[in-house]
Parts: sequence; C-alpha cells; structure tokens
Amino acid sequence: MLSRREFFGVAAISLVQAQQKPDGARPTMVMPMHDDAYKPVTLPAKPGATASMTDEARDAVEHRIHCQCGCTLDVYTCRTTDFTCPVSPAMHKDVMQLVAGGYSADEIVRAFQGVYGDKVLMAPPRVGFNWAGYLTPFAALGVGAVVVATLISRWRRVVVDEPAPVVAVPGTPDEMRRLEDAIRRDDQS
Amino acid sequence: VILVGELSLWVALLVAAWATITSFAGGALRRTDLVASGERAIYATWAFVVLASAGLWTALITHDFSLRYVASFTSANLPFVYTLTAFWAGQAGSMLFWCLILSTYTAIAVFTNRHQNRVLMPYVAGTLGAITLFFLATMCFGQSPFERLDWIPADGRGLNPQLQNPGMAIHPPNLYLGYVATAVPFAFAIAALITRRLDGEWLAAVRRWSLVSWFFLTVGITLGMWWAYVELGWGGYWAWDPVENASLLPWLTGTAFLHSIMIQEKRGMLRKWNVTLVVTTFLLAILGTFITRSGVISSVHSFAQSPVGNWFAALLGICVAVTAYLVATRLKDLEANAELESMVSREAAFLYNNLLLVGIAFSVLWGTLFPILSEAVRGSKITVGPPFFNAVNVPLGLLLLGLTGVGPLIAWRRASVANLQRQFAVPVFGGVATLALLLASGMRQPSAVAAYALAGFVATTILQEFYKGIGARRRMHGESIPIAFVRLVARNRRRYGGYIVHAGVVILFCAFAGLAFKRENDVTLKAGESFQTTDPYGHQWRFVSEGLSVDTKLNRRIIAIGLKPTRDGKPMPLIESEKRQYFDSQNQDTFEPATVVGIQEGLRQDVYVVLAGVVNDDTAEVRITFNPLVWWVWYGGMIMAIGGLIVMWPQAGRRKESGYAAVMETAGVR
Repeated sequence: MLSRREFFGVAAISLVQAQQKPDGARPTMVMPMHDDAYKPVTLPAKPGATASMTDEARDAVEHRIHCQCGCTLDVYTCRTTDFTCPVSPAMHKDVMQLVAGGYSADEIVRAFQGVYGDKVLMAPPRVGFNWAGYLTPFAALGVGAVVVATLISRWRRVVVDEPAPVVAVPGTPDEMRRLEDAIRRDDQS
Repeated sequence: VILVGELSLWVALLVAAWATITSFAGGALRRTDLVASGERAIYATWAFVVLASAGLWTALITHDFSLRYVASFTSANLPFVYTLTAFWAGQAGSMLFWCLILSTYTAIAVFTNRHQNRVLMPYVAGTLGAITLFFLATMCFGQSPFERLDWIPADGRGLNPQLQNPGMAIHPPNLYLGYVATAVPFAFAIAALITRRLDGEWLAAVRRWSLVSWFFLTVGITLGMWWAYVELGWGGYWAWDPVENASLLPWLTGTAFLHSIMIQEKRGMLRKWNVTLVVTTFLLAILGTFITRSGVISSVHSFAQSPVGNWFAALLGICVAVTAYLVATRLKDLEANAELESMVSREAAFLYNNLLLVGIAFSVLWGTLFPILSEAVRGSKITVGPPFFNAVNVPLGLLLLGLTGVGPLIAWRRASVANLQRQFAVPVFGGVATLALLLASGMRQPSAVAAYALAGFVATTILQEFYKGIGARRRMHGESIPIAFVRLVARNRRRYGGYIVHAGVVILFCAFAGLAFKRENDVTLKAGESFQTTDPYGHQWRFVSEGLSVDTKLNRRIIAIGLKPTRDGKPMPLIESEKRQYFDSQNQDTFEPATVVGIQEGLRQDVYVVLAGVVNDDTAEVRITFNPLVWWVWYGGMIMAIGGLIVMWPQAGRRKESGYAAVMETAGVR
C-alpha cells in the first residue's frame, strides 16, 4: 500500500510524463495543460487596507475569472476540482492578496484583465465589438420575427382575397352524435 | 479476423463507391438494373463494415497491441466492458463506429423502402452511399483503426479514467445514433430536390427518422450531462462547452422540424423551410463532428487534433454547396399555396416556436464561434463562457417555455376570443398562482421566479389537455381514469406523446432554475475537524472529516476522504470522495489522477463533495456543494425520451377516417 506522500509523488511524475508524450499519444478528453500560462497579478495594498470582502464574495470574483491552464473552467471551479492544475491555485493566491489589499471585486477583475487581457474573463466585457456578440442573437431573432410577421400577413391576405369554398359534407352517425353532444354541452354551460 | 477486418474496410470503400455511382446513375438514367445493383451494394457495404467492426472488436478483446489504436486506448488490465467501449474512445475507432451506424441505417432505409418511394430511393441510396464512402475514406486514407505500430508494446496506455464510467459507455453511442440518423432525412431531402418531388411524400418518409434522431440525441445529451456531473467533479452538468453545444444544435433544429413538419402535413405550407431545417440539422451534426475533431475550438471533450477535421470541413463545404445549388434551382417547385387565417392559430404558434428554436440554435452557434470571429477581427482572444450563454439564452429559453404552454391551447386555423378565454383561463390561473406562491415564500431571483411561474402555466396547460381528453373518453366510453389515460395516449400518440415531452421540458426547466440556489463551500479539514453550513432550504448541516485513506484496487491507487454529515442534528449517510491514479499491467501510471465525486442524492437537492487536494499530507481540501433539484434534470430527460418513444412508436391498424374527417384528410386539412 502506498503512503499519501508516495501517491502524490507518483501522481506528479505521471503528470510530467503525460506532458512529455508526443501529441499523437495524448489522452482524449483531457485538455493540454498550460503550466506556463500563469502570470502574477499584484498591486500594492491600499493604505490601511483590510480584507475587502467575505469568502463568499471572493469566490464570486473567482467565478468571473477564467483559469488559464487550458481548461474551460473559472478559477474557483478549477482549483476546487482539478487535482493537478498548478495555475488556478496561483491565480487564487493573487485574488487573495488583492482582497487583503482592500481591492473591490471589479478592481480585482480589472487587474487580472490588465495582465492577461480579455481572455481572462469568463464572458467578453460589454464594450466595443463584443456588443456584436451579445446583440446579434437578439437582432437575428428580431429579423426573423419581422420575416415571420411579413409572411403571415401575406398569407392572411391570400385567405381574405380568396375565401375558401364551402363544401357540404355528410357526417357519419358517430360524428353527428358527437356534434350534438358538444352542442348540448355548450347549451347547458 | 483482424486482417479480414482491415481488408473489409478497403472492400467496403470500393463497394460504397459502386453503390453511390450506380444508384445515382440508375436514378438519372431510369435503369432499374443499376438501381438494384446499387441497393445490393448498400447491403454489401453494411456487411463489410460489420466485418471491419468485428475485426477491431476482436483486436481489442485479444489485446493486440500491435495495433496503434488498441495500444493507445486499452491495457491488459482494463475491465472487459470498457475494453469493448474503447471501440469509440478514440478518433479512428469512433469513425468506424459512426460508419457502422450509418451503413446500418442506410441498409434499413433501403430495405424498408423497397416497395415505396421508388422514385426517390436511387438518390437516397446514392446520397447515403456517398456519406458512407466519405467516412470509409477518412479511415482508409486518413486515420485507420487498423494502423500497425513498428514494435509491439508489452501493454497499452489504457483508457482515460474519465471514460471508465457506465454513463460514458452508453452516452457516445446514443449521441452517434442521433447524429447519424440526421443523414437519412438529409438524403431524402436531397432526393426530393433532385427529383423535384417536393410534396408530402418525402416528408412522410423522413418523419420517423427525424424522431429516431431526436430520441437518441435527447437520451445522449441527458446521459452526457449525467456523466459530466458524476465524473468530472466541477459540480454542474452543462458548461456550454463547444462540444456540448455541438450536440445541442442539431437537437434544436431537429425539434423545430418536428413541429414545422406538422404544418406541411396539415396545410401543405413551409416546404422551403422544412427542406432547410432537415438540411441544416444534418449540417450541424457534421459541424459538431468537425468541432470535436478538428481542434479548431478548445474543449474539454475534444479528440486529439488531427487532419480528419479538414476532411469534415470539406464535407461541410460540399454539402452546403450542393444543397444551396439544388434549392436555388428548385425554388419554383418549393412554392406552396400558403394560407393562414389568423396570427392567433396553432399554425402561427408553430411558426413562433420555430423562430425561437432556430433563434436559440443560432445564438448557441454564434457564441461557440464568436471567439474565432473576435480573434479574427480584433486580434485578441476572448473567452465565451457560461455567463455569456446564460445572458443570451435564458430569456429565449423562457420565451420558448411560455410558448410550450401556449401552442396546445390555440385552435388550428383561427382561434376565437371565446375559445381563447375558455382555453387559457385555467393555465393562466395556474401560472399566476405559482407566481404568487413563489413571491409569498420570499423567492426573488428574477429568472428562477419567471421559470417556475411559466412552468406552472405550462404544467396546467398539459394537465388541462389530459383532463379534457380523459373526460371525453370517460363520457363517450364509460372508461375508468387509468384506462381512459392509456387509451387516450395510445390512440393519439403524436399529440399526447408530444404533451409528455412537454412535461419533461417543464421538469427540465424547473431543475435548471434550481441552479440559482446552488451553494458552494470550499473548506480545509483534518481528521476529526468539522464544518457547519446552511443549505438552500435553511437546514443546518455539519460535516465531520473521517480523515484521508489510501488504498490500491485492480488498476488504480486511491486516496479518499470520508465526511460524516448531520442535517439539523440528524445523522446522514457517509459521503466519500476519491482521487484515483490508474496504472497499467506493468504498474506504470496512465493518465492524470481522476476524481470520484461523493454525491448524496435527493429529490430536493444533492450534497456534492469533491476532494480537491491535499495539504501537508494530512489536510484535505474539500468542496461541498448543495445542488438543488439536479435529479430532476435526469428525470426530465427521461420523460422527454419516453414521450418521444410514444410519438414514434408505430401505430398499427389505425382506423381509417370516414365522413367529414376523411374529406378533410383528402383535402389536406386533417
């Protein structure tokens, strides 16, 4: 049986080996880990700074920041999920230091954005070209709605212009009985 | 058998080429001998693909590590069931699996249409043969599952631990069954366009295939969500990952088609739109495959980057070009006598439903591709994650949910004010009462409140429909409620099966809205230490750590933590979470450590525990999450699938309509 220390030693070695394998031998379903993707995000503490937020609020900030290890998760989720990710714990430490330095949630996110660029945000900021991202689906839906409305009004005009011929069709006894039942029910209600 | 399998792949390639050429030629030249030859070649292609598949399965079972594929995805100590499922674990094997399903579907389509749709069938067989040919070519000239190594390793690398999960054993086959089934309606659409027979004939032939596709995609997506939830350990089931999105796209357009097909069946309208939807659904399935296999978009689910992605890009391009040409040259044939009496009618409701479903599909596709577009335009990378997709899709999803309740209440052709009042009174009351209850109970999250209120409205609509139907049967036939329910559904499978699907949708939305109340705790615990917190329902929980333990089993080393929880002081079952390091038969480690999540399941909420790390050898970093209503996602998915099954189940011996109904049927106004 392995000790915990041996287990983690083996895990670390296997991780390094996985990194060294040629591309063709990469396991499926696992993203390539970008160990060198971490960049320090540091700011001097504000004068007389105290921790600016609760743990819950700090976690919420980390949910807004994209881990740079190559996964698709945010920092909080990655660091509390991925056993082997070296990037999200480092980014978490930076968040902790900024919190201790008295920075607000938006200031912390902006600091990360300044170092990594927009890709560090879980969603593109609502500025400039990114508005195209947010608005295009609704614009497309609006265009679709106009097209549908136009088509319906055109089809309705056809109906108004050409009333459908009235055809007298004898009903079956069963249909006549159901019809009479329905009329009787309507009369009673 | 392995050699036979490898040779079969090449023979299948040649036979599929023959099937394609003779089928198209037979159709164009009206030569029945060529058409018959093409159909026989379709059956032969299927047989050779089965042989090739048997060859790969044999190689996997016998651990023939001289094959690169076997060495890459299995090891001698891999459990037997996962040795079998390794067939579709990698790129080349999954291509063969896709080909196996496609050739089987093709053979079934040709066989079941041997006495019908004879004008269309040469082109259907030709199109499906061409697609099969494409897949065989990717294996013969791209990545072959039978590629041999220069040397024979003592053992293989094993299967990724994340794939060693029952959900993963059955989730990919279901998705493939769904994806591939979109090819048959596509082939019929191409055949209808080529032959200019664009009336209802081809639609009748493809409806069941579209339902098959929809059913398997529904099951596959639900299983995929379940697998992600229990296996990946990040605490959710849907991350708007590009590969997840890729499976959702054909489902959305396929759902739109299953609604719009009713308008063409009943009113002869929407010919162009239905052709477009069928083609789009297939193209989105191919696009999804391209995304998964090209490496063009980052995803946790992607296969390793390979040149096969370029093949799919080419297939996509060819399909778009051919379809665009055919539609453009047949616009006149696609004209229909479109008439719509009112904007407030069932037909109009279906149009709004289609608009929303396609709108959501577009927004998902747009969000998936936006990082590429943004990088091309601005030169810098961005991340488009869940906050983006939620911001765009939640409002659209809520609109769609509302429409799910509105559609069944509106009459065909034209709804009168009296009809609307009578139909809407109870469901609107149901929605308003739900809203009042939620607000009175203090719920304030806008999207969750809206989702539950709309769910109340739609659920009441469905109940009202069943109540009326059952009531009518009881009055007419004097049946008991259970008998009336069963017969109502059995004799009106499309309608009431559809309502059951809607019920599943309502449950799904309620479960999705539960995420708004998720609570996460990130804690560090030594043996004997405890952590207290409150769940979303206000219950007090205390978790006591039983400490870390280390163990070795079959093909893995395990480090685990046990948490002893109490709820409001009452002891609850132990929750354990593990990290596993897998190794092969040579005791060599394979892959990265994998997570095994500890889940205490419940109808109201799951307690979800993940061992996230270990500090100083004796302290566990644990994430404890309360996930409300998650199990309703699986139930909702299952109910949807059951509804779909009811809708597509063959209805034998249906009574022929007579009298008024028969006349209206003949006039196309059923």
